[in-house]
Amino acid sequence: MADSADAAAPLVELRNVRKSFGDNVVLDEIELLVAPGEAIVIAGPSGSGKSTMLRCINGLEEVDSGSVLFDGERVDPRSRTIGRMRADIGMVFQQFNLFGHMTVLENVMLAPVKVKGVERDAAKVRARELLETVGIPEKADAAPADLSGGQQQRVAIARALAMDPKLMLFDEPTSALDPEMIREVLDVMRDLARGGMTMVVVTHEMGFAREVCDRLVFIDEGRIVEQGPPAEFFAAAKSPRAREFVDKIIHH
Amino acid sequence: MSSWLELLTDNFDALASGFWVTLRLVVGAFLVAAVVGTLVAALRIAPSKWLQRLGGVYVETFRNIPLLVLLIIAYSGLRRAGVPIGTWTAGIAALGLYTAAYVAEVLRSGVFAVSRGQVEAALSLGFDQRQTLRRIVLPQAVRTVISPLGSITIAMIKNSAIVGAALAVNDLLKEARIIASRTFETEAAFVCAAIGYLLLTIAATIAVRLLEQRYAIRR
Ligand SMILES: Nc1ncnc2c1ncn2[C@@H]1O[C@H](COP(=O)(O)OP(=O)(O)O)[C@@H](O)[C@H]1O
Ligand SMILES: [Mg+2]
Repeated sequence: MADSADAAAPLVELRNVRKSFGDNVVLDEIELLVAPGEAIVIAGPSGSGKSTMLRCINGLEEVDSGSVLFDGERVDPRSRTIGRMRADIGMVFQQFNLFGHMTVLENVMLAPVKVKGVERDAAKVRARELLETVGIPEKADAAPADLSGGQQQRVAIARALAMDPKLMLFDEPTSALDPEMIREVLDVMRDLARGGMTMVVVTHEMGFAREVCDRLVFIDEGRIVEQGPPAEFFAAAKSPRAREFVDKIIHH
Repeated sequence: MSSWLELLTDNFDALASGFWVTLRLVVGAFLVAAVVGTLVAALRIAPSKWLQRLGGVYVETFRNIPLLVLLIIAYSGLRRAGVPIGTWTAGIAALGLYTAAYVAEVLRSGVFAVSRGQVEAALSLGFDQRQTLRRIVLPQAVRTVISPLGSITIAMIKNSAIVGAALAVNDLLKEARIIASRTFETEAAFVCAAIGYLLLTIAATIAVRLLEQRYAIRR
């Protein structure tokens, strides 16, 4: 009994989460479980609360009520342990947010050295490996500003992976990219999911969702409207809002 | 024509002494401005509304009172109130505190120029607030503030002439006036003073250039 419960223990658990900015209720009665190794995609119209939900998972936003658990522990932005928890949760942003005053290699090395206390030489070796993994080992000494958007985003993924996170959050990682660069970033993410990384991905890339993700969660006006296997969702979304959304994306 | 050069050699000791006084005044005020300006900027970006407001009051007060009035308050005002403040202290304090208001504003806007995204990226890697400020925000803010801080320093060097005009401090301008009234070579005396100020402002300009190069994006 206890064994099977352990095996199923979710890595992320959102229970009855509510969040508003002023009068604007942004998340309402959100219930979400993410199992270890699962890759889920969050879809929904702009302003529906996708980013906010993601940011509640690593405590960049504080929930008004309900609870957010990561690996069984409560995520509390005010707690002293929040840094340690965030170190286990990688986050990739739409705007890449690479540190502009450092080289690519330093971007990837910094947190392992300063947050985890990894030795510089070891961190450097690992950073080079990761740049290899994301396909840009030759850019190690470049400044972020000299990279294309796709390259910057791949560095941002490498930077997050350098902390050996248990979970990766992606907030529209390809939305700021030129079309020809989207593929290179999605490929890295696909390999990551295939390698067993637990991932929560906010994206409009429905091909990626269908091909890579185990589950699609559709959110509208701060509520989870429906969820299920991506293919089913695209073929036969149940709610009118979701069908409307699918139509828009497909005919886009 | 070369009368200012003659005047310079004839009165070199007096002018050098005035230059030395101005230099000390400027360096002293610079240190005050740097320390106080940083503290006030820290208040302005503090998480508490009250601390922010306190910093705001400082900036508005010192930016909106003429330096000459500050000097008179710092010296005559305090003396009349029974505080035995010296001319040096009053001069350095007034010039330094006045300049600090501008320094604080430049530092504050430098910090805000570093995008929220940089902070969030650092936080989500596990850095705490302090590390984020130290390793991510400040190093990038430095690059944006060097040039405006240079302008403030140059303005302060020029403003230092007001200290000599208001208080019994024999700075470069005061020495030049004394020489002018003694020799009647007014233009030549003020040319000498101008050269002295130029030396200081050019030195400051060069320092800014060097700092800018040093903090340019590393490749
Ligand atoms: N920091 C904030 N302050 C005030 N309102 C916010 C803030 N962040 C998001 N919102 C609002 O919350 C709603 C949901 O935003 P968001 O989570 O970014 O949606 P999505 O990512 O789905 O587009 C929007 O109405 C947005 O304007
Ligand atoms: Mg969003």
